[in-house]
Amino acid sequence: MSLKKLSLVVLAGLLAASLSGCGGSGSSSGGSAKTPKDTLVIGTAFESATLDPAVSMDNGTWAISYPCYDRLVKYKTDNGKASTEVEASLAESWTASPDGLTWTFKLKKDAKFPDGTPVDAKAVKFSFDRLMKMKKGPSDYFPTLKTVEAVDATTVKFTLSKPFAPFLYTLATSGASVINPKVMEKAKGDDNATAYLAEHTMGSGAYQLSEWARGQHVTMTANDKYWGKKPSLKKVIFQVIKDASAQRLQLEKGDLDIAEGIPVEQTEELAKNKDIKVGEYPNFLVSYLYVNNQKAPLNNVKVRQALSYAMDYKAIIDGSVKGKGVPMKGPIPKGMWGYDDSLTGYTTNVEKAKQLLAESGQKDLTVHLLYSNYKTFWEAEALLIQNSLQKAGIKCELDKVAWATLRERVDKGNFEICLGSWTPDFADPYMFMNCWYDSKMFGLSGDRSFYKNDKVDQLIRQAVEVTDQKQRTDLYRQAQKIVVDEAGYILLFQTSTIVPQRANVKGFVYNPMLDGMFNFEDMSKS
Amino acid sequence: MFSFHYIRNQIIHLLLVLIGVSIITFALSHVIPGDPARMMVGDKASAATLARARVELGLDRPLTEQYYKYVTGLMHGDMGISIRSQQPVSSELKKFFPATLELTLSAMILAVIFGIILGVVAAVHRNKWPDHLCRIVSLIGVSTPLFWSGVVALIIFYKWIPIFPASGRLDTFMTPPPQVTGMYILDGLFAGQMDVVLSAIHHLILPAVCLAYVQLAIIARQVRSSMIDVLEEDYIRTARSCGIPTRRILYHYALKNALLPTVTIAGLTLADLLSGAIITETIFAWPGMGKYVVEAITFLDFPAIMGFTMIVSCVYVFINFIVDMLYRFLDPQIREVDK
Repeated sequence: MSLKKLSLVVLAGLLAASLSGCGGSGSSSGGSAKTPKDTLVIGTAFESATLDPAVSMDNGTWAISYPCYDRLVKYKTDNGKASTEVEASLAESWTASPDGLTWTFKLKKDAKFPDGTPVDAKAVKFSFDRLMKMKKGPSDYFPTLKTVEAVDATTVKFTLSKPFAPFLYTLATSGASVINPKVMEKAKGDDNATAYLAEHTMGSGAYQLSEWARGQHVTMTANDKYWGKKPSLKKVIFQVIKDASAQRLQLEKGDLDIAEGIPVEQTEELAKNKDIKVGEYPNFLVSYLYVNNQKAPLNNVKVRQALSYAMDYKAIIDGSVKGKGVPMKGPIPKGMWGYDDSLTGYTTNVEKAKQLLAESGQKDLTVHLLYSNYKTFWEAEALLIQNSLQKAGIKCELDKVAWATLRERVDKGNFEICLGSWTPDFADPYMFMNCWYDSKMFGLSGDRSFYKNDKVDQLIRQAVEVTDQKQRTDLYRQAQKIVVDEAGYILLFQTSTIVPQRANVKGFVYNPMLDGMFNFEDMSKS
Repeated sequence: MFSFHYIRNQIIHLLLVLIGVSIITFALSHVIPGDPARMMVGDKASAATLARARVELGLDRPLTEQYYKYVTGLMHGDMGISIRSQQPVSSELKKFFPATLELTLSAMILAVIFGIILGVVAAVHRNKWPDHLCRIVSLIGVSTPLFWSGVVALIIFYKWIPIFPASGRLDTFMTPPPQVTGMYILDGLFAGQMDVVLSAIHHLILPAVCLAYVQLAIIARQVRSSMIDVLEEDYIRTARSCGIPTRRILYHYALKNALLPTVTIAGLTLADLLSGAIITETIFAWPGMGKYVVEAITFLDFPAIMGFTMIVSCVYVFINFIVDMLYRFLDPQIREVDK
């Protein structure tokens, strides 16, 4: 046989063998669908950079790291319904001093890390000391935390320099995860074991990271030493698949159990498939417009109100997110405590907009709308906003830039109006009222409209210092009235999270505070 | 065949190109607006946290100082630390580059082999049905965007006729072979794990064919036209009149001359394949550099962007060097000019 013929035969042989040999071996192969019953496979477009709870700042990462760690408190689930209230997790009970400066937690006795190390006061102290020493993003959730003290093995005392009312809620964030102190054995130099924790997990949670093939998949395995209820899913795999069409195909075939990256336009068609259910959950992701309050003519309250009245809210919601959004009455979204149903907010009223504009003395107003393609629906949303404004006689020029550029310009106040979105990091109205309206927070970190009102500053700052929730609600209520009236932002809508999943996936409870994350320990497959 | 002077001059040229590339990329990636420190600490971070991150990343230093530090690091094989993942860029590229190389090289081999075959067949059977068929195949190839043909390929060969997997380099539950080259087919062969080799080939076929298709079409058109030109040359007619078998005339006398322009195209092909790989990798969830760099760009991860650019430039420059050498091998006249 000549060399050419031989190579042809070898090539054909390899091809045939690869087709037949791999047909039934794995979940991602063409022939076999359906993942094993004790394994959940999730398609995600996101790839984490670091899993260290003291560093990571994105829900995509928390989807992996959050179930691997426990915290002192966790979000409540009542009768299968998620709540934004917190309840005991590693803590058994707690007390706060009347001045709100000292918080003392009693810990449960039976919690252990997988290696047998007890989850005690020392571990809690270690985790918080590490967080505050490293001073990365998550430490910002504890702006007034002064010291953490291990009083005895099961008592831990937090001392704040100034009262910070949301403190209890911040303890449910990923940054408050309790890490096994033994991790320091893996530290290199003075890196606080960041390099190790970037790619490993060392918590006491129901799952632990078992494999991370970068760019391909992340595998989590159930922690068989878990101190709580034993989970029924033995393995959870996050498959990194960027392309939405590819994700959809794989979900339909059963190679994926849940697909996270499918845009809302495709979910209607997908819902017709009887093997798939498309869960729709109202979330706290707010779509809004920053209006630069410092820039003329937008520093005129009448102009801002005119813009708010000019918006065709229904068309914007229908056109950009297929109607899967709810208009907002005030800055605190529906479902979060502090939400005020009595607020009227703004509804579409073109005549009123024109009248307000005339009163403001503005003729032939042109505004520039800054946006990027960070969210897939922003392009459509920007066009609909432009269209709305046009109807009220306001010319709107679209200014589309790269995501990083947008952030830079917002931070420096170099814009007129800008399309944005916001999600709260902990379940407290603070995340909306103090972040958005406190004039100390000018710029990207919160007050993106550069809004300033002394009365509002006073009210919301007071709301952080008192611990009584009723009193806080009342303060926020007063502040909301003012900021809505002054139209500091244009509040477009709060969105819904769409989670397409196979019909046999059971037990998923969506919590708006844990958007993009899952309660794997309670989930199963039938 | 190749003089020492010639090779030395070439290498000096290559180094100059690489230095130029490093300066341009560094300047470009640093002048675009956007703050990588902000990307690292998140939108809601306080000003103090942000300032700390900036110092940590050395972004508070003058640009020239940052460049100097980068280049001195590069000389020692240190490409810096990725802002996004906080891991050394060189070790990240070591993970992702082999995947892209495996995909791109397979696509290139497919494109060159089948492109030449198609081109020769079309030229020999000029204006007959094989030629028309080749033309149709090529036209579809050059006019179909990759992001579309990739998805269509998935629908046909994953959904309707389920013979190929949709994503990844190996079956989900399979462990990659020990890393030697990072290319799973080769590493599987070295380790003697035939199941890994087969799974890797199985996963590679669809993305490689999609990626190769466009370039295959271009090469086929090029080979066809230069082959037709060569076949009309006097020396071919003379060869025919001497009774030399057609096959020998085609492959021995004609093809070698017709390949000269094709070599240029094939060299350029690699650049196209590398950029095409970014789309292919997205559709087929292929964990290569394309995906890595797209993420790096949206995150303003300068060290990662620089690392990627330097690697791709090196590959590109190296391929051009090889093409130059091939010219000399194929065409003695060019060799003579040097002397």
